[in-house]
Amino acid sequence: MSDLTSLGAAAAVPAGAVPAAGVDPALASFIYTEARLADEARYSQWEALWDDDAKYWVPMHPDHDPRVNVSYIYDNRRRIRSRVAQLNSGNRHSQTPPSVLRRLITNLEVVAQDADTTTLAANFVIYEYRFDLTVWAGRYEYRIRTRGGDLKLAAKTVHLVNAGGPVPTMSFLI
Amino acid sequence: MTELDTSAHVGQVDVAALVEPDRVHGSVYTSQEVYDQEMDRIFRNGWVFVAHVSEVPEPGDYVTRRIAGEPWIVVRGKDGEVRVLANRCTHRGNRLCNADAGNSSSFRCPYHGWTFSNDGHLAGVPMRDGYGSSFHAVRDAMGLSPAAAVDSYGGFVFASLNPPAITLLEHLGRSTTAIDRLLAVSPTGELNLRAGWMKHDMRCNWKMVMENNVDGYHALFTHASVYDAVKPAKVSHVPSKVEVYVRDLGNGHSEIDYAKEYSRLDEEFIWFGRIRREKLPRYVAAMEEARGPEDTHRAFVVGPPHTLIFPNLFLAEMNVMTVEPLGPGRAIAYTTPALIPGADEVNEKTLRRSEGAMGPAGFLIADDGEIGARNQLGLAAGSPEWVVLRRGTESDITDETGIVNHDKSAETPQRGWWKHWTQVLTGTAAPGA
Repeated sequence: MSDLTSLGAAAAVPAGAVPAAGVDPALASFIYTEARLADEARYSQWEALWDDDAKYWVPMHPDHDPRVNVSYIYDNRRRIRSRVAQLNSGNRHSQTPPSVLRRLITNLEVVAQDADTTTLAANFVIYEYRFDLTVWAGRYEYRIRTRGGDLKLAAKTVHLVNAGGPVPTMSFLI
Repeated sequence: MTELDTSAHVGQVDVAALVEPDRVHGSVYTSQEVYDQEMDRIFRNGWVFVAHVSEVPEPGDYVTRRIAGEPWIVVRGKDGEVRVLANRCTHRGNRLCNADAGNSSSFRCPYHGWTFSNDGHLAGVPMRDGYGSSFHAVRDAMGLSPAAAVDSYGGFVFASLNPPAITLLEHLGRSTTAIDRLLAVSPTGELNLRAGWMKHDMRCNWKMVMENNVDGYHALFTHASVYDAVKPAKVSHVPSKVEVYVRDLGNGHSEIDYAKEYSRLDEEFIWFGRIRREKLPRYVAAMEEARGPEDTHRAFVVGPPHTLIFPNLFLAEMNVMTVEPLGPGRAIAYTTPALIPGADEVNEKTLRRSEGAMGPAGFLIADDGEIGARNQLGLAAGSPEWVVLRRGTESDITDETGIVNHDKSAETPQRGWWKHWTQVLTGTAAPGA
């Protein structure tokens, strides 16, 4: 219970947040594209969405500090490249064959915005079929940057509702 | 729980018939009766790892754990002693403490308000007049049930829920050298295991998790995707090219030992991404200050251990793993990085390396979990009945360090595990001996 409470605190949306209806359709479209590429194991296309200073983070608790706490995933751009290379190798046994995945993203809100970067948050549910059906749920936080007319993913944080664990093998792109 | 002999009530499978020197029957991984005997003989009557002292550094600090499905509190009292107490109110059995970790001088049951001090004694009973005088006569005996024995080595806290037949040191035997080897990379000889435990739900028998940790044969295949697509192995996985040994240390403990190979190369930090010592100036200075240049160099060359301590602790180089059995076909692997007090420049790298290798999304362990799950599925086939552990039977060497094989792919560690496992379950060795 405490995890859910603090999850809300960590992902708190300030007053004046822009709800889904007001989100720039290009940002929403970028988020849905990212989700579809992850769901469909289009690893290299998914990797191409990331910016150079990328941070892909799945913490074990919303209040954790990566400098002192271990996370399930805390990838910089280089490790994202390695993760994708491993998935593309055909020998990543825990994703060979890839899990069948579909995710729903909802409650999309803009939580902060500056000249070139927008921070958005959303709830998600992922249905993963591998040995059987596993349901994942939580909150996504995205930092999306406008770069030369393109959108790039600068950061994605995944606050799992079951981050406290135990969690099953999670080698698909969450 | 100390008075009731539960061993008479569990399964009657003759485990001695399931283990031979170079093969084991598949049912050791799948049988509920075997599992029940394991929980009784190994986990309730032998020494098991429960926590690290750095998780409970101050009086009142506690963590909650499960051993053989039973809830326990590991708590440091105001007298400084670390106790292992049953996490069960002595009144009606409610689980008393419901957090993973915290600090408290007492535990108050939310059901009827009974309160226990953190040394376990019953400190308060609401509306106590409702109990007659007979209750007051037994009240002193209604403290939280303690584990029969708690001891530690090098900061690693072990408990034996029932009275142990032997001491912790006797149980650890030669494996203390592995703990020493881990502590040798810390200037203070201490560790910090407070980064959090990754909890990985695995669809396989707990013994597969442990045996695989000291399997020098699988890496080239299970982890081919890492070596092919990400980065080459730190040293070759081809046994004929390296002096990497496997060793049965006795008492079920075993290891893969890179020390000889690293020493032959005389290169520091092969085990830590081949980092150059110039990148870790404060850590190097602290080590040389504490240990002198020669021992420091040696610690940096040979690195931390890759050692399994029977039944549930794995010193995974700069990580610590413990496994919790949850039935014949399910286990949770808990992993945390071994951080070094004061060595922030090392610790941030250790954290990132831990995430890279370990846990449910780790480049290594995610695939070990998958292979474990498939292993469990494969064993559902009744034929052949046996699992083969013959590699290296003709090249094992017995010396003062144990049973050693100079081929890292030999199944020497697994044979050592099963020999001891059988002795414990059949009562021919003391539990945890």
